[in-house]
Amino acid sequence: MEVNLIFDATVYSSDAIKKAAYRSINRFAVNIAKDGNDIKCSLTFKDSATEIQIKSYIDEFKKEVLDQDLRELIKKETEGVRNLILAHTFSKTGLIKDE
Amino acid sequence: MSKFQQIEFYKNKKKEYSLLPFRFEPLSGNNYAVTNLAGEYLTIPRDELENLVKHKLDSSSPHYVNLRAKHFLTDDKTQIAKELLSIKLRTKYSVLSEFTGLHIFVVSLRCEHSCPYCQVSRQSDDKVKFDMSTEIADKSIDLALRSPSKNIKIEFQGGEPLLNFPLIKYIVEAVKCRARDKNLSFVIATNLALINDEIINFCKEHEILISTSLDGPKDIHNANRPRQGGNSYEKAVEGIQLVRAHLGIDAVSALMTTTQNSLGRVQEIIDEYLKYSFTGVFLRPLSPYGFALKTKTYAAYDAEKWHEFYLEGLEYIIDLNRRGVKFREYYTSTILTKMFTSHEPGYVDLMSPSGIGIGAIVYNYDGLVYASDESRMLAEMGDTTFELGNVLKNSYEDIFLNPKLLDPIEDSFAYSVPMCNDCAFETYCGADPVFHHGRYKDFIGRKPESEFCNRNMKIFKYVIERMESDKFVKKLFMSWAQPNA
Amino acid sequence: MLKLHGNAISYDVNLSQRRLFILTRKAGLPKTMKAKYAFLLDNNMNYEEGYGAYISFDEVKNTGIKNHFHLPIEMNYLAEGDVIKIEPSGGINSLFRKNSSHNTILLTEQCNHYCLMCSQPPKNIDDSWLMDDTMELLELIPRETVNIGFSGGEPTLYGYRFVELINKAKLMLPNTSIDVLSNGRAFSDLIFTAKYAAINHPNCVIGIPIYSDDPVRHDYVVQAEGAFDETIRGILNLKKYQQKVEIRIVIHKQTIGRLVQTCEFIARNLLFVDHVALMGLEMMGFTRANLDQLWIDPFEYKDILSEAVDVLNSYGINTSVYNHQLCVVNDDVLPNYKKSISDWKNEYVDQCNLCIKKSECGGFFSSSKLHRYSDHIKAII
Repeated sequence: MEVNLIFDATVYSSDAIKKAAYRSINRFAVNIAKDGNDIKCSLTFKDSATEIQIKSYIDEFKKEVLDQDLRELIKKETEGVRNLILAHTFSKTGLIKDE
Repeated sequence: MSKFQQIEFYKNKKKEYSLLPFRFEPLSGNNYAVTNLAGEYLTIPRDELENLVKHKLDSSSPHYVNLRAKHFLTDDKTQIAKELLSIKLRTKYSVLSEFTGLHIFVVSLRCEHSCPYCQVSRQSDDKVKFDMSTEIADKSIDLALRSPSKNIKIEFQGGEPLLNFPLIKYIVEAVKCRARDKNLSFVIATNLALINDEIINFCKEHEILISTSLDGPKDIHNANRPRQGGNSYEKAVEGIQLVRAHLGIDAVSALMTTTQNSLGRVQEIIDEYLKYSFTGVFLRPLSPYGFALKTKTYAAYDAEKWHEFYLEGLEYIIDLNRRGVKFREYYTSTILTKMFTSHEPGYVDLMSPSGIGIGAIVYNYDGLVYASDESRMLAEMGDTTFELGNVLKNSYEDIFLNPKLLDPIEDSFAYSVPMCNDCAFETYCGADPVFHHGRYKDFIGRKPESEFCNRNMKIFKYVIERMESDKFVKKLFMSWAQPNA
Repeated sequence: MLKLHGNAISYDVNLSQRRLFILTRKAGLPKTMKAKYAFLLDNNMNYEEGYGAYISFDEVKNTGIKNHFHLPIEMNYLAEGDVIKIEPSGGINSLFRKNSSHNTILLTEQCNHYCLMCSQPPKNIDDSWLMDDTMELLELIPRETVNIGFSGGEPTLYGYRFVELINKAKLMLPNTSIDVLSNGRAFSDLIFTAKYAAINHPNCVIGIPIYSDDPVRHDYVVQAEGAFDETIRGILNLKKYQQKVEIRIVIHKQTIGRLVQTCEFIARNLLFVDHVALMGLEMMGFTRANLDQLWIDPFEYKDILSEAVDVLNSYGINTSVYNHQLCVVNDDVLPNYKKSISDWKNEYVDQCNLCIKKSECGGFFSSSKLHRYSDHIKAII
């Protein structure tokens, strides 16, 4: 069973959609294609999937895309400070007694 | 007195705040778990989460104060978060520099049990073929003492290690003699069927601890662990009591192996542990290789069923505690330690970077060195991916710098792995390249399909939601989290 | 409550400046030593020449003895080995009491905080003579003294003079442990901390308050902008140099709301602290002026206190509960309950007469007994 979804490429990055697709890999396979300002996803479900399950999987997928979008925002904003903290963590500037 | 300012005076002057690195996962309903860089968590509804990320969260929101205090955001009031996060992380990772602490010596492959879930043992009397030699033992000891770790734990395994008790004696004495400035501890992992006074006296003299198997009440235990005479349970219980009588009540710990026989009977298993005054049980998932896979007993053993088993066990234990019985579950405790402290419990399967080699190493009876216990089991099935060398031919550097060790550690490092690197629970979880390789033929697998991932995710979410809805459980779990408890 | 300051009447004073003396009844001390001592006269006023001063209580008459000071009767607790300061005008201060296990020495009334519940309200005057006195006092305190405390105001406002003080304490009283009460902010300067650490005192604890894990709340309670960060940084620096740190939390309406979270914060971020002290509110100083914002009956918060103590105990942090009565705390905090933080403040009320736990209970601050205490005081029978 195949279902097609279209996402607005000016709103969602393809990375966000790919990551959401990856998380759903145990439920369906996804083919992603860019078409102008659209990101087209065709979802292929297992034969054993019921209609109720398919609906729920699609809902979950859409939510996951939104979540991935949010994660991108966090990552963009915090990449720098994360590297700073990690650098400090592994540096030898004696925060803990054995340095 | 007008000299005093109201609290408003001390609030942030600017509305703007900056996010600190954090991750999130959905819980049930509208609730999400957010975790900071050090693995501390909070729960928050989705709409507030979105507000937080889009800088729309107001400082008057109750979530705001918690998020700032727990290092999810900073504002003009406080800049100390970065330093504190750095310290917490450093503590967490400091165990890495200790390097290998657990050294497993497989002194014999021979065994008088024939447990269907066992990957390794041999029903044999051929000592020459299946016992570790003193030459191999010596070389293994040399390697073990090369570890930079101040604390060295030597665990004797098999087969049934007591079948080669003379070598155990040899190794203990040799290690104590050669080790300088190390804190040593010794454990024998044995079914206790062959324990006798001589062995007990030796253990007493050298403060050796015993780890044994107790799979549950007699019928489960004996069904899991056949031996000639069909009396594995009786022997185990007898052995436990004997060891305690001479070495003390804490000298023996017990592990259970979950099989098809165990499912549906977790309360009875726990009751059995209570009967023998154990203070906790480790509800272990079954490792999916070895005989188990060969004999298709693994197929019958469903991850979903194990999860039910685990949940029922955990709830039963919580209830016991509510009734005043102090008892804990050790898998959950390991996770809780990672949730509530900066301490690394050192449980190989739940370490990232993976605990193979870094946390534990196996010196096999034949001189081959394996990255972990599971690695050795995989080799028994013909897969030598994690075989690192031979004590008779290879140096410490050959073994520990072997790409066969370093590649899986690097590739499986959860922080870099797809899905894991976004996962809110990555700091509670592990890498386990051996499991993934055994099951999915690569060090990482695909996490959404990975049973390791599914199992752990379910547990993390369950534990968090349980604590958030029940103060008693939160208090109980916080006490389980402490490393020295 | 003991009267620590009094005015003496004297007839024949030839002190040119204020002097510190050790009190003694011992006659026949060598001439070279006598001048350091103030002789406690007996009822017969038996007099021996050569002492620095002479002390008697209550009865006033011109005995003809030079530097004979007649102290008010309330000060007759003063005894052998105590150290007093005498002003030429007759002002007497008790600086050190040998029998007390809690000698706390005031170093200054200046402070860079203005805590809502401050028991020693700050005064912006130059009182550095207190430091001068203390430096001299260190030479007079008996060497077998177990512990002394330094407080203020904010002792570290003296900067390097504070460091000198601790150093002198180490040199003069090598076996005496020290408790310093400080807001810790001076230690956010790493160099200052290094200088302090270089003293290498074997047993000196800096007691630093943290009133909330929420910087807004903490800054509000201490009435100082930016206090939280500097205090935490001070603690981190002290620990960088392996110095001993205690965290103190005064429990009242402004700190009870996040008490559990604050303890969780300490457990996650400051696990290395040597001790945490959870303290009941004292009715002195600013507390009464701010009573509306501060007062909460301990009986009402006893469950929160239990939860907070449980968090700290879980993490293995040494924790003590001070200044609460046994009838207003839950049994589960008893292992952490300490009878007293200061022995000169213990008092009891009528309800306590029949209480079987009275001798184990810390009782009340005199100020609390006078002004406000729990409505739920009940004898345990």
